[in-house]
Amino acid sequence: MLWYKAWLETRWRFVIGLLLMLCCAAVVVFEYPSVVRLMQQLPAVAPDGEIGRRVAEEIRLSRQFRGFVWSHAFGQDLVTVGTFCSVILGVGGLLPRSAGDATLFTLSLPASRLQLFGVRAVTGLVEWLALAMAPAILISLLAPAVGERYGLGAALIHGACLFVAGALFYSLTLHLSAVFGDPWPPLLITLCLALALAIPGPLLHVPGRGFYGLMSGEAYFQGGRPPWPGLLGTAALSAVLLAGAFVTFRRRDV
Amino acid sequence: MEDTPAIATLDLRKTYGSVEALRGLTLEVPRGSIHGFLGRNGAGKTTTIKILLGMTRPSGGSARVLGRSADDPRASVEIRRRVGFVSEDKRLYDAMTTDEMLRFTASAYPAWRADLQQHYVRTFELRPGARVRTLSRGVRTLLALTLALCRGAELLMLDEPTSGLDPAMVEAVLQALVRHVAREESTIFFSSHQIAEVEQIADSLAIVHRGRVRAAGELDELLGRYRRLQLVFAGEAPPGFSAPGILRTRREGRTLTVFSSVGSDGLLDAARALGPVSVDVAPLNLKEIFLETVGTED
Repeated sequence: MLWYKAWLETRWRFVIGLLLMLCCAAVVVFEYPSVVRLMQQLPAVAPDGEIGRRVAEEIRLSRQFRGFVWSHAFGQDLVTVGTFCSVILGVGGLLPRSAGDATLFTLSLPASRLQLFGVRAVTGLVEWLALAMAPAILISLLAPAVGERYGLGAALIHGACLFVAGALFYSLTLHLSAVFGDPWPPLLITLCLALALAIPGPLLHVPGRGFYGLMSGEAYFQGGRPPWPGLLGTAALSAVLLAGAFVTFRRRDV
Repeated sequence: MEDTPAIATLDLRKTYGSVEALRGLTLEVPRGSIHGFLGRNGAGKTTTIKILLGMTRPSGGSARVLGRSADDPRASVEIRRRVGFVSEDKRLYDAMTTDEMLRFTASAYPAWRADLQQHYVRTFELRPGARVRTLSRGVRTLLALTLALCRGAELLMLDEPTSGLDPAMVEAVLQALVRHVAREESTIFFSSHQIAEVEQIADSLAIVHRGRVRAAGELDELLGRYRRLQLVFAGEAPPGFSAPGILRTRREGRTLTVFSSVGSDGLLDAARALGPVSVDVAPLNLKEIFLETVGTED
């Protein structure tokens, strides 16, 4: 029943997040035929500078369905919406200080703090896994509707990259929720970090997409190999943050 | 029934930053009793209960519940399995219905009493399909009590159990608690600042003030040993009168009022030696005992 309680507490965040993620995936797939038509009308332009290079890169990617999906879905929309969803799922933690919480009732149950924390953390992670994988699977299923193909295996690898990297934001938010109790500081700190991680590429002219490249599965798209070191490192960091959150929760007085 | 007390604390201390919530609280609650835990707001009642249930760690001293250390995380889970609890805020899960709350709580307690659930749902007129968030504070209190009473618990810890109830419901709840103890042979430890309620159902009590127990014992025994001596003098009353067991003295013109926690027999000779024109001895009721006890440091 602790699982049921955790589900009840997060279900609306999950359902709204799932709808948003599925919409992002569907829009990218059904947008592709019009993009193809637009590409045929485009003159062969090659503007100078960084912007020109990016436009040319975008045109090159969009000539293929796989490239368009990676660039727009896994590289932009799903990463952006997914980051926000993973943060929202982690907010609240276990000892919220809002007026409507039932912390004392929960802590009076014959369950250890490890059980209480574990159920909450795993529920959020499973929900985030579903949010990351569902749009990837949908892209693979919808592709034939626009006369294209997108391998399920490739979609799942991109989904897995999204999940593992996004789990870092989830774990950080849960960790900060254990520290602060109040939902706003974890939300703001993690979103600021997410924004900061987006800066290096465009502003500092650093090649690649940095952390969001890992999240989008850029290395797999470009080279066909999943970014194992990055994924393992991120997963390890998430595990450390979750362990830290548990230690904080175990020691917290109410 | 085991011989160990239901609750035993020794020199229990809790500090929040620079605030001392508990300053050496020593308490013993015998099994099978209804034990009132009286104190003003901020006296340390809720902090004590939180420590007993493992929600808060003590800064010092020891606390045992049903023979187990409340500070040991594993023992604390076992304690909570055998204890029913109603929190002061009566907060439950807003998203659940009454029925879901009952099923949720029942799943956590192997000794859950379905027969009592049926009984209390009917007695307190709880609507199974009503969402917790739509319940009034009074009905939420009744649901919280039902959740505690049906756990098959050996000990019930109730933090201000009747707050938010109208007088008729207060009476119904108090009667239900008395019947529950008699039928289930359980122990009730309830905090309150409603003196009349404690007087009505408690058979023992502790008065806590500023993190320490100031008075404790069987209710009848306490009522039997607290006395007020009123000494009237022909002229101005003498400034002081000190003897063991005197809680405080109050001097007003020709009258000296002495509050004693050890009866009056030992004090009468000393009082008469002051030369009063009259000495009047009267027992204190619980309200007076409480006010004189918690007022000793004010």
